[in-house]
Amino acid sequence: MIQFNNTDLAKVQEMISRYPEGKQKSALLPVLHLAQVTFGGWLDVPVMDYVASLLKIEPIEVYEVASFYSMFNLKPVGKHVFEVCQTGPCMLNGSDQIIDYIKQKLNIGVGQTTADGMFTLKTVECLGACGYAPMMQFGKTYREHLTKDKVDAIIEECRAKAN
Amino acid sequence: MARKLLLEKAHVEGIRHYDVYRREGGYRSVEKALKMQPNDIVEEVKKSGLRGRGGAGFPTGMKWSFLAKPDGVPRYLVCNADESEPGTFKDRYLMEFIPHILIEGMIVSSYALGSNTSYIYIRGEYDWVTDILDQAIKEANENGWLGKNIQGSGFDCQIHVQRGAGAYICGEETALLESLEGKRGNPRIKPPFPAVKGLWGCPTVVNNVETLAAVVPIMNEGGEAYASIGVGRSTGTKLISACGNINKPGIYEIDMTISVEEFIYSDEYCGGIPNGKKLKACIPGGSSVPILPANLLLTTAKGEKRLMNYESLSDGGFATGSMMGSGGFIVLDEDQCIVRHTYSLARFYRHESCGQCSPCREGTGWMEKILLNIENGKGSLSDIDLLWDIQRKIEGNTICPLGDAAAWPVAAAIRHFRDEFEWHVNNPEKCLTENYGLRHYADPIHVPV
Repeated sequence: MIQFNNTDLAKVQEMISRYPEGKQKSALLPVLHLAQVTFGGWLDVPVMDYVASLLKIEPIEVYEVASFYSMFNLKPVGKHVFEVCQTGPCMLNGSDQIIDYIKQKLNIGVGQTTADGMFTLKTVECLGACGYAPMMQFGKTYREHLTKDKVDAIIEECRAKAN
Repeated sequence: MARKLLLEKAHVEGIRHYDVYRREGGYRSVEKALKMQPNDIVEEVKKSGLRGRGGAGFPTGMKWSFLAKPDGVPRYLVCNADESEPGTFKDRYLMEFIPHILIEGMIVSSYALGSNTSYIYIRGEYDWVTDILDQAIKEANENGWLGKNIQGSGFDCQIHVQRGAGAYICGEETALLESLEGKRGNPRIKPPFPAVKGLWGCPTVVNNVETLAAVVPIMNEGGEAYASIGVGRSTGTKLISACGNINKPGIYEIDMTISVEEFIYSDEYCGGIPNGKKLKACIPGGSSVPILPANLLLTTAKGEKRLMNYESLSDGGFATGSMMGSGGFIVLDEDQCIVRHTYSLARFYRHESCGQCSPCREGTGWMEKILLNIENGKGSLSDIDLLWDIQRKIEGNTICPLGDAAAWPVAAAIRHFRDEFEWHVNNPEKCLTENYGLRHYADPIHVPV
């Protein structure tokens, strides 16, 4: 059964309260972010239906939004998602080589997840860290000035956490 | 050394927190503003000559004066913190390190515009920055700068932060408003402009982070004092985010009198190009503005030194000039391939097109594919003309400026570097292993010692 706990439900109420009466649909993006973090890193249809019921909107209004924004995953992803920027300024600083290295190191292609479900590799477009390129989004924060050694260290860090 | 108005206190230990920020003179502008009539604040901003720092460069005071004020209808101020233009990362720096300057600027602006509830729409990836802003808002609330009857003025003011979820298009103000309403980020047809019908159909002003932060020094020092900095219609200071092939990438606050050459080569700013390499090209204002070869970047077609300001960067129009844009300064050294770089930008715009208008939805994809072919030695000479033709048919034919933004980089690359495209076509094997290099582009440049 898909259900936020009471703490998260209070968060949803706080999100709705940021907007005028009757404009609760505006809370859709924040609530979807919360739902994605809470329910396994992606938005399955029942999760989106649940969000629709919380905001008193039609499920289709949730689907069309979830499918528009690149941060919402509509398929399962690994426990750790590497989202490597590949746009111009990062490319000038070697992002292609970093992406190739991660592919080879994890033995997966872009958009794929390792067999153990630990890692997903995604390429993304400009994340606004051009001066600290190459970089990737890793969970809540950025990892910047990436090198092969730094990639190794991040992978080790994830594996250490799992053990 | 240029005077700093926004980043002056950026390196003060603990400036992110209210107590330190207040001790360093923070929130003075709110105290001053609340004693003034809202319209007088708008006049002060007009006097300052402040131009929108998000990219379009529209005069902020004028934008504010367009706000409709029908009786009984709420008005809204929305801060555009959806910084996504490749090469631009200045707003993040402000919000991450001096969040209170944005909150302070927003309170003054909300008072001036009569917005009791204002929103910051921040790009979804800046997750930790959202936490920093939330904390700053909490501190401002606890100290009576936000909430009901702030500082006993009778004015109620609240600020909320909303995270986007990964869509460049939401930096376009009407797409941003759609997104803030919980919808897909499809830009609206204008008119009506947000000043008349914006958020939930109410009159709304949307301003960039840096623009709203600049309201603080304008209030503290007066509009005329702010206007006395800089040159011509480029008043005050501008944040430039510098990246690409330079020794010191980062955020620089400049007054807009310095030359492009000084900005790239001086140790106070970018510190030159790494490994003694030569400058090949530069996109001076975020990926959407035209790329310029080194000679036209440093010197205008008239032979004048090009300066880092709105007028000088656009001198010569698109034929020989570019734009100040968002201040995303991307430098390419002699080893960079223009075709490859243009392909990367074309892929970006294809990915970010919202899909509403067919010239943009289809055209960006075609441009990406053709550029990839040329880059991989599979192009023909007619492809170059086809690219030119497609970009012309996108420009001006879409609801929002994303179409133009996608067309301009391709147009400028062909305009100034056509021989490099032709070289790729004529050398399909060689272009896979070698770069075209500088050829004639760097000839007129001297590198200062």
